[in-house]
Amino acid sequence: MENRPLLRSTLAIYTVLFIGFLYAPFVVLGILSFQSGPEGGPQFPIIEWSTYWYRHIFGLTPPSRVAPLPIGEALVRSMTLAFATMVTSTVLGTMTAQAFRRRFKGSGFVFYLVVLGMIVPGVLVGLGIALVANTLGIPRAWWGTAFVAHVLYTFPFAFLVMLAIFNRFDKTVEEAAWSLGVPPMRTFRKVTFPLIFPGVLSSMLFAFTLSYDEFPRTLFAAGADLTLPLAIYGTFAVEIHPNIFAFGVLTTLFSFSLLAVYGFLMALSVRSAKKVAIQEEIA
Amino acid sequence: MAYDLELIGVGKVYDNGTVAVRDFDLQVEKGEFISFVGPSGCGKTTTLRMIAGFESITSGEVRIRGRRINDLPAEQRPTSTIFQNYALFPHMTVRQNIEYGLSVKGLSKADRRQKAAGIMEKLELLDVADRRHDVLSGGQRQRIALARGLAVEPDILLLDEPLGSLDANLRKSIQNELKLLQRNLGITFIFVTHAQSEALVLSDRVIVMNRGEVEQISPPYELYTRPKTRFVAQFIGRNTNIPGTLKGRDGDIAGVETGYGALRGFLNDSTLSDGDDVIAVVPSEAIDVYPLTASRDELIAQYQGNVVEGLVRTADVVGHTVFYVIELSDGREVNIESHIEKYRDAFETGAERVYVTWLPNEATVIGKG
Ligand SMILES: Nc1ncnc2c1ncn2[C@@H]1O[C@H](COP(=O)(O)OP(=O)(O)O)[C@@H](O)[C@H]1O
Ligand SMILES: [Mg+2]
Repeated sequence: MENRPLLRSTLAIYTVLFIGFLYAPFVVLGILSFQSGPEGGPQFPIIEWSTYWYRHIFGLTPPSRVAPLPIGEALVRSMTLAFATMVTSTVLGTMTAQAFRRRFKGSGFVFYLVVLGMIVPGVLVGLGIALVANTLGIPRAWWGTAFVAHVLYTFPFAFLVMLAIFNRFDKTVEEAAWSLGVPPMRTFRKVTFPLIFPGVLSSMLFAFTLSYDEFPRTLFAAGADLTLPLAIYGTFAVEIHPNIFAFGVLTTLFSFSLLAVYGFLMALSVRSAKKVAIQEEIA
Repeated sequence: MAYDLELIGVGKVYDNGTVAVRDFDLQVEKGEFISFVGPSGCGKTTTLRMIAGFESITSGEVRIRGRRINDLPAEQRPTSTIFQNYALFPHMTVRQNIEYGLSVKGLSKADRRQKAAGIMEKLELLDVADRRHDVLSGGQRQRIALARGLAVEPDILLLDEPLGSLDANLRKSIQNELKLLQRNLGITFIFVTHAQSEALVLSDRVIVMNRGEVEQISPPYELYTRPKTRFVAQFIGRNTNIPGTLKGRDGDIAGVETGYGALRGFLNDSTLSDGDDVIAVVPSEAIDVYPLTASRDELIAQYQGNVVEGLVRTADVVGHTVFYVIELSDGREVNIESHIEKYRDAFETGAERVYVTWLPNEATVIGKG
C-alpha cells in the first residue's frame, strides 16, 4: 500500500493544476479589467486600479478614442437565441428520449443519427447550413439559420441527458397512474414530468450555455446581424482594450448566476428525486 | 349474468418472439379471490398486465362484465393494479396519492376528501395522511398502494406479488387484512404470487400456470387432494409421485401396476385407458406409517392394497410435527410432514423398516403427460 499516498498526492497535484489552468486565464482577465482607462492597455502592469472599463461598457464614460463595444444588440440576440434554443432543444430532447423508452425498429440507427449532431465539426455544419440556405434562397439570420444550427448542436445533449434520466425512471409509477384512470398525457404532465424535472433542468442549462457561446456553427450561419461571440471576435480584429475583459467578467458572473439558479431549482426538486431513488431500491 | 372477468383463449407473444401466455381460458364470478401461482417466468405477470391494459393482447379476448376490453386503454378499464414496489407517486403525500385517482374522475374536493378519509380509516392510514410516504414502513406503503387502488372503486383489483417485498411476519398480517378487505368490499381480486402458501390461504380458486399455460384451476384444497397434471402434483404440496401403468378400473378407483406392486387410487380422467402410463400421486397428508410388526394382511385389507415397505432414513420431531424421510425399495424417497399423534406407534418402536400406507381414495391417478 506504498503507492496510495503517492497516488493521492499525484491526483491532488493534478487537480490543483487543472483548476489552476481552468481559472488562471479568468483571474488574469479579471485583474486586467480593472486597468485604468482610457490610456491603460490590456497588459501588466496595472497603471492604476479603476472601474473605468466597466463604466465604459455601459457608456458612462466621456467619449474617448476607444469606441464603445458594439455588443448591446448582439447580447440581446444571443440571449434570445440561447433562450429559444434552450426551450426547443429541451422539449425535443425530452420527447425524443420519451420515444426511445420503447425500442422501435431502427432505434439504434436513429440514435447514432441524433448523436452525430454533436460530433460533426461545427464549422462544417455552419458552412453546410449556409450553403443549403443559399441554394434554397433562404436569407441567413441569427433567428433562422443560426437557430437551426444551435438546435442541431444542443438537441443531442438534451436528448442524452433525458435518456439517462428515463433509464433510471420507474415505469410502474406511470402505469399506476393509468390504472387509476389518468390518461397518458395527463400522467406525463402530473406524474412523469415532476419526476424527471431535475433532468429537464440540466438539459436546459446545457442547451442555454452551449448556445450562448457557440461560435463555429454560428460564424457562417448567422448572416449579417452578429451574435455575441461573433461580435466580440469582431472587436479583436481592430484593437484589444480592457473593456473586453470587463465584459468577460460580467458574462462570467452571469454564467455563475445561471448556475446558482440551476442549483437552487435542483435543490427544490432533489427531494422528489431522492424518493425516486428509494422506490428504485425496492424494485 | 355475465362474469366479472372472462378470458377466452388469451395468448401473448412479445415482440422478441417470446411466447409468454398460451390459450388462457378463465371465468371469474364477482367477488372471487383468484390467485395465479407458478414458477418465475411462467406468464403470471404478463397475464395480469394484459388484463390491466399495460400489454397488448396478442390473441383471444378479455371481457369484464361481459364487455370486450381488448382495445380499451388502461386508464379506461375498470381495473386497478397494485404493484410489488408499491409505485406510489413520490412527489405526493399519502393523502394526495389516494385522492389523485378521484380528482381525475372529477369528484369535488369535498367528496374526494371524504372518500379518501373513508378508505384511509379502513386501512388505518389516517395518522400518516399528510406525511410523505418515503418515511413510512413497507407495510404502511403497501397499504397506501391498496388504498389508492381501491379508492377509485375498480370492478377488479389486480395485484402483482403485492406482499413480495415485505418480511415474513408483516406478510402474514397483511395477508389477513387483505382477505378481510376483499370479503368486506366484495370486489374481485386477481392476485399474482410465486408463493403457493399465500395463494392457498387467500384464494377461492387458484390457477397454477407453467410455461405460459394453465395447468389447473381449482379451489386450494382440491389442488392438494386432486392434482390434475404432473406439474401440479410436483409444484403444489408435498406429494409422492409413483409411476406405473393403468390396470383395471372400479368406479372412481383405478388400479396401477407399479414397481411396488399393484396400487390403487382415485381416477376421473376418462381419456385414460388400460395400459396407459400414469402416475399415482400420494399426498403426504394421506400417508400412514406402521412398524413392520403390524400385520401386513390387516393393513392390506384396511388400505385396500396400498401398502409399500420402506426404510426410515430420518425422523425428526419439531414440536408436534414429525418429518419423515422414508426410502422405498428402489430408492424413491417419501417425504412426510405430519402431526406426531399419527405416527406415535411407528415412532415409539424406533422402527427402521415401516409400512407406508394410504387409502385409495386419497391418492389421485393422473396421466403421465
Ligand atoms: N417485455 C417483455 N419482452 C419480452 N419478453 C418478456 C417481457 N416480459 C416478460 N417476458 C417473458 O415472458 C415470460 C413470462 O414472463 P412473466 O409474465 O413476467 O412471468 P412471471 O410473472 O410468471 O414470472 C418470461 O419468459 C419472460 O422472460
Ligand atoms: Mg411476475
